[in-house]
Parts: sequence; structure tokens; C-alpha cells
Amino acid sequence: MNAPVLSVHGVHAGYGAGDILKGVDLDLPRGTILTLIGPNGSGKSTLIKTLAGLLPARQGEIVLEGRRVNELSAPKRVRAGVSYVPQEYNIFRNLTVLENLRLAQEFMGGVRGRTPLRDELLGLFPDLPGKFKALAGNLSGGERQMLALACALTAEPKVLMLDEPSAGLSPKYTTDIFEAVKKVNARGVSVLMVEQNAIEALRISNTCVVLANGRVRLNAAADKVLEMRDLQSLYFGDVRAEATAS
Amino acid sequence: MFGQTLFNGAVTGVMIALPALAVTLLFGVLKFPNFAVGGMMTVAAYMVFALNAQLGWPLVVAAAASAVLFGGVTIALDHVTFRPLRERGGITLMVASLGLGFILENVARFFYGSAARSFTYELARPFRFFDVRMNREQAIAMLVSAIAMGAMYFLLKRTPIGRAMRAVTDNPLLALARGIESPHVIRCTNFIAGVLLAVAGVLVAMDRALEPPMGSNYLVSVFAAAVLGGLGSPLGAFIGAIIIGVASELSTLAISPNYRIGVPLVVLALILVFRPQGLFGQPYIRR
Repeated sequence: MNAPVLSVHGVHAGYGAGDILKGVDLDLPRGTILTLIGPNGSGKSTLIKTLAGLLPARQGEIVLEGRRVNELSAPKRVRAGVSYVPQEYNIFRNLTVLENLRLAQEFMGGVRGRTPLRDELLGLFPDLPGKFKALAGNLSGGERQMLALACALTAEPKVLMLDEPSAGLSPKYTTDIFEAVKKVNARGVSVLMVEQNAIEALRISNTCVVLANGRVRLNAAADKVLEMRDLQSLYFGDVRAEATAS
Repeated sequence: MFGQTLFNGAVTGVMIALPALAVTLLFGVLKFPNFAVGGMMTVAAYMVFALNAQLGWPLVVAAAASAVLFGGVTIALDHVTFRPLRERGGITLMVASLGLGFILENVARFFYGSAARSFTYELARPFRFFDVRMNREQAIAMLVSAIAMGAMYFLLKRTPIGRAMRAVTDNPLLALARGIESPHVIRCTNFIAGVLLAVAGVLVAMDRALEPPMGSNYLVSVFAAAVLGGLGSPLGAFIGAIIIGVASELSTLAISPNYRIGVPLVVLALILVFRPQGLFGQPYIRR
């Protein structure tokens, strides 16, 4: 197994008085795709937001390439190499497609004006160039997701974190999104993905982590998890299913 | 008569446009209505008065220096007044801004008294343009506002910091995830708002009079313009200001000029009832 590009040790985080994450430990090996699944309220989105720096870790340590990043603000984490695509509201609706991309290039710390990168990105998302002047808010759900992904990749991140990238998309766009994620990963970007569409996500993943009640209940190879008959139970954090996987 | 009234309305509109733009920029980035803008306009105008009438600087130089200086003052006011309250929510910040506006107006009153004053500059005769009578102050107001609006358009559309300001206005959380440092954007927004308010203060003081309540007298019109255009929309603020200015002046053809101040209030009430997001604003979605 590759050395982890991102490690999480005993992380507690939450909103208000209570913790939603109650000591999460996981490693994201370099160049792999890790899919995080679990029931609603298990803390998947909270974990991804904590890793992105949008929510403080109350305890524990987040390590990116051997460097503790707990104290870095969200913008600094982006420049350190962690890109995050939220589930909703993941593009600036009142800016054009081109302005969204430009803004990402100006502030996310990628190599400015590197034309090959732009060409590569537009190769990944061929629908975007024809819509450069359109307001991003007028794009379809799938196009918005593609734009959000393109913006996140502009930073040339080491870790790409996606929160429910296929939520609300048509089957065609869902396939396109997972294809794009595969291609992005093939370029060497490590991907951490929260996804409800577990089977599709696991097919392109190396690792599966099941989160339930703010704790990691299972950390296993994605292909092994796919072979499990009681995948649905596992998805809902069922402890019996963990035994089958391990 | 109609043409003259229309022109006067347009002049009133462009004078409202700059503070309305400041209000909308501040609201877009900081998410609260800053009612201190009236007091800020007043203090900025008195700064120009100090440099121009008391130190003898030419008005243009005094206005330019004060605009830059007041940009810095606005950053400092935000740092001292609003930053410590940022986490408390919009209502707390709004109340704080009311208090700050009251303090600023009375600081001006404390140092300069309540009597109306004026800048030192050469007066010129009014002139006629087609059938419209225009004085130099009005022409300057139109020109300066047009330049300021053009500069704002360029800044917001063509520069990285302008795009960042629009991004923070659109979605503050996503802006963080896209590497935009909100403290820097807040500082820039405050500086720009300060410059706009200083310029507006000079234009109002030239057209009317320099006196402590000059800024608060404009507050209703300024907020009506910003709300009409859609809080957070710079283009909306400009168009809203022109509509408010023209509607206020045109109302004098039908009702006593004493009631002109009621027009922005009526427009404000109507827009809040029938289209709360304004002409160019986004509907508010409670998340």
C-alpha cells in the first residue's frame, strides 16, 4: 500500500455543544480513491468539511503529506493541496463559467495561466468550453458538477474531496462524473469521496470506509466490500456486516 | 419643466448611487445593512472640509486625499466596531451600525457645530444644455459618478479582487473552499466603500450643504435605492438610485416638495411587499 497522502488521527468535530465525529481515524493512500459511506447523520459531510478546514477539529490531528494542517485556514489548506467540492452550491451562480474557472486559477494556488492544464481540464469536461459566457447558475445539474470539479482541479490538488458528486444527477451525468473522477485519479490525484450511490462509487474505488455514529466502523478494500452480500446493511452501519467484511 | 425635473431627478439619483453602491457592496460581503453609511459620508465630507477650507488645499486634491484616507478609516471602523461582533449575526451588526452612525454624526457636530458650511472653491454661473438649466456642481456630480461607476464596473468584472468580492457575495462558504481569504476581501470592500462614501459626501456637500445631518438625510433614499436594485447587486444599486432620484423629483410635479422624502419610503415599502429581492437581487432562500 502507498504511503498516505492524508491521515486523520482521532478527530472529533461537530456543531454546537455535541461532537458529530467521535474519534475518526483513516488514511488516504497516495494515488487512490477512498469512498466514504454510511447512514444519514453518520458524520460523512462533517468529516469532509473538517478536512477542508471549514469546521475546526476539536481534537485529533489531520496530516497532509507528513505535515499537520489543523491550524491552517480553509484557503490555506486549498493552497497546501486539498480541494473540496461541496454537494450543493458548489459553483458561484452569479459568475459566468469562465469567471468561475478564472477565480479558481487566481486564488486556489495552481500554476497560473498554465495553458496545458486548462487544455487538459477542458479535455476532461468537453461541454464546458461552449458555455464559457453562460451564468453558472443557468447550467444543468450535471454541468454544474462538471464545472465544480474543473474548478477544484485547477489548483492541481494532491487530494480531491467530493461530497456526493452524483447527488440529483441523471444516470448519464452520474456515469460521466465517475468517469471524470477515474481520469482525475489516473493523473495522480488522490480522491476522497462521500457517495450515496455506493455500488457505482465502489466500482472505481480502492478503499471503502464506513462511518456510523461519528466513528469508523469498517475500513476495507472496495472490491471486497462490493462482493459482500449484505452491502445494504453495511451501508447503514450494521455491525454484523462488519464481521463479514473483516 | 418636465425635462428640468427629470434632469434634477437624475442628478439626485447619481448622488444616491455612490452610497447605495457602498451599501450594497458592504451588504454583499458582510451580510448586514450598514446604517452607519450616513454618518460615514458626513465625517468624510468634514475631512475634505478640514483639508480644503482649513488647510487651504485645492478641493480636488483634498477630496482625493480624503477619499483614500477615509478608505483606511472605514477599514479601522470595521476592525474596531464590526469585527468583534461578526459571529453574533446580522441583527447585532445592524444595531451596532446604527450606533456607529449616530456617534460619527455627533463627532462631526462636536468639532464643527451644527451650522452649515461649504468648501472653498470658485463658484460658476449655471448654464443651459438644450432646455435644461444645469449648474457646475450638478455637472461635476454626473461626471464623477459616471467615472466612479465605470471604475467599479471595471474593478468588479475585470480584476481578481473584484471577482473575489462577487464570489464572497454569492457564496461565502464556497469562497473559502476556493482559496479566497475573506479577511482580505473584507478589507478591500471596506476600503472601496469608504472611497465611494467620501466621494458621495463631497458631491452632496457641494450640491446642498455641509452639515452634520447631511448623511442621515440621505439614508432612506440610499437604502431604498439599494433594496430596489437588490441588495448585493452593484448594477441594481445604480439603477435603483436613478429610479429613486427621478421618482422623488417627478413627485414634486404632483405633490408638495415637502413630501418628496416620502417617495423613497413608499418605493421601499412596495418593493419589500411585492419583490423583496429587488430588481436584480437573488430571492432569499432560508437554508
